[in-house]
Amino acid sequence: MAPRATRTRIAVGAAALLLAAGAWISGLAERGARPPERPDVSFPKYPRQAERERIAARQTLPARPAAAGRTDEDPVELRDPFLRSLPLGDGDAFVVLEANALRHSRLGELFVQCVLADHPEAFAEIARETGIDPLKDVDRVAYAGRAVVVSGFFDRVKWDAFQKSANARSAPYGDGATLWTSEGDGEAVASWRDQLVIAGPIADVRRAVDQVEGRAEPRRKDVADDMAYGELYGVVPGAAARDLLPAEDGALAARLAAAAQRIELHVDAQDDVAGVIRVTGEPGQEVDDLARSLGAALSIARVKAAATDDAKLSALLEHAQVVPRDGGFTVEVALPADVLQEFFKDCGKRRAKPTE
Amino acid sequence: MTLRTLTVARDLLREARARRWVLALFAGITLLLVALGFGLELEVVDGALAAQRLFGGAMDRSIRPADVALRPLFQAAASIVFYGGLLLGISVCADFGPSLLAPGRIESLLALPVRRAELLVGTFAGVLALVLAGALYGGAGLALMIWVKAGVFNAGPIVAAALAAVAFSALYAAMLLSVVVVRSAALSAAAATAVYMIGLVAGKRAALAQLFSPGLRRSIFLAVTAPFPRLTGLADAALAVADGEPLPWARLAGLLLGTALFSAGLLAVAIALFERKDY
Repeated sequence: MAPRATRTRIAVGAAALLLAAGAWISGLAERGARPPERPDVSFPKYPRQAERERIAARQTLPARPAAAGRTDEDPVELRDPFLRSLPLGDGDAFVVLEANALRHSRLGELFVQCVLADHPEAFAEIARETGIDPLKDVDRVAYAGRAVVVSGFFDRVKWDAFQKSANARSAPYGDGATLWTSEGDGEAVASWRDQLVIAGPIADVRRAVDQVEGRAEPRRKDVADDMAYGELYGVVPGAAARDLLPAEDGALAARLAAAAQRIELHVDAQDDVAGVIRVTGEPGQEVDDLARSLGAALSIARVKAAATDDAKLSALLEHAQVVPRDGGFTVEVALPADVLQEFFKDCGKRRAKPTE
Repeated sequence: MTLRTLTVARDLLREARARRWVLALFAGITLLLVALGFGLELEVVDGALAAQRLFGGAMDRSIRPADVALRPLFQAAASIVFYGGLLLGISVCADFGPSLLAPGRIESLLALPVRRAELLVGTFAGVLALVLAGALYGGAGLALMIWVKAGVFNAGPIVAAALAAVAFSALYAAMLLSVVVVRSAALSAAAATAVYMIGLVAGKRAALAQLFSPGLRRSIFLAVTAPFPRLTGLADAALAVADGEPLPWARLAGLLLGTALFSAGLLAVAIALFERKDY
């Protein structure tokens, strides 16, 4: 056996080596690749700073114009002319698409590429024929009841060409609008100060211009400027929701229509798609049951995603939840952009097909 | 490890049992589990969590998959098992070393046909076996209790228990080293607590180093913390499992090996000092 002093020296040397090796390996492990982080989802629950600034920048219209009795002493309350114009009646659904923001989102890029893959000149042709560049001039599009309202920059629109091709008559309407009507069909198109274009039944188009110019008050009080957040937002009556859900979810759609009075939705689509759906109904068992059913449906969707090894969808659905509140509940749900990308998988195939 | 080392470890476990240490350890863990069992009140409806309650108070009303909704609970459980288990281990094991080296006992042990290194390594292995059993009992008990109450199983607390047992090897090596220098239970606990604290810091050393201006101070900080086990890194692995993520195997293997080498290094110093001591 080695003498005690030698054994001690060996032990101390071994200790130093072990500690140095431990430090080195721990350091390597620290620097090693970390597992991929779970996707972080930010749900559009309220307007973010950039959206608050956007809302404020859009409030250019006095809420009570002089015609409605405003005096110079009154504080000037401004409103967004686009939202004020929406010609909605009780029970009408409306959905607003932030076309310009969507255009620059991942989905928007995919959509544009898809259109160009099939029709490379599509947007250029529209710009040539109408004077509107759909990729630059359109800011927002609203489907409001039976009318469509578009905001943007319409100073270069070729209205003469439109009038000729539609065989329409033009007439000034109100303070700053022009109305085009054609015989017999009851439909009209209006342009307001080269900022808004409204199309739909004549009564709705007139009403939209009257609302924006202060001759009529909007009938719906639940369309406020501060609800303009997300890339898609709107309000759908419970009964109309039946048509929005896929046919295989018929039972759930019927339940939604029966229990929900108002469904407000906000969707972010810059990268992955995250949505907040606020369902309001009469407090009671029906709404509670609906909340549970939706929660269970989301759970099943997540289990399905996990079973099909769709890790990203499964991870995003982990964020999904139903939050009950007085007189309703809120659904928060997210989908990966990859899922929606599937819709665009056939882009360009039509063009590639040889002509027979 | 020699047969004689295993014999020393077995004798330590036998003695721990005879002196009711094992009973006290397992009774304490059982009491904690029972208290939590009565405190947790979970209601799970139709695969979605309708209400989550802790000690009778509503925590969250949202309806979401039960395994997702319970993740914070499993993460809390894994944290308690890991960090709490280490602290419990320090207090329970602080006296093991000093009693081993107590006058009257050490002489009889040294008279046995066992090398001093084997005596120290055997004691180390015996204590670690005891801690591993206690940790797994607590971790598995907690996971099973939540499974029975909520119908959701999560391996986070069990993984936390296993990793805590490995992390404790570093703490107990420091305890043995301090006992060889000065035979004091208090100093032994203080040494383990110091490694515990520095281990917590070492796990976040890259981020904490940014608090020092580049230069000598930062280099000293990084050099001092480099050999210590990354306790927060080990805990993070257990928390990842509790959060439904896969175990980060490659990273974890490095952290475990680093911890084992640190423990072996301290044990080697303790053996060197023990060899030179006259009793």
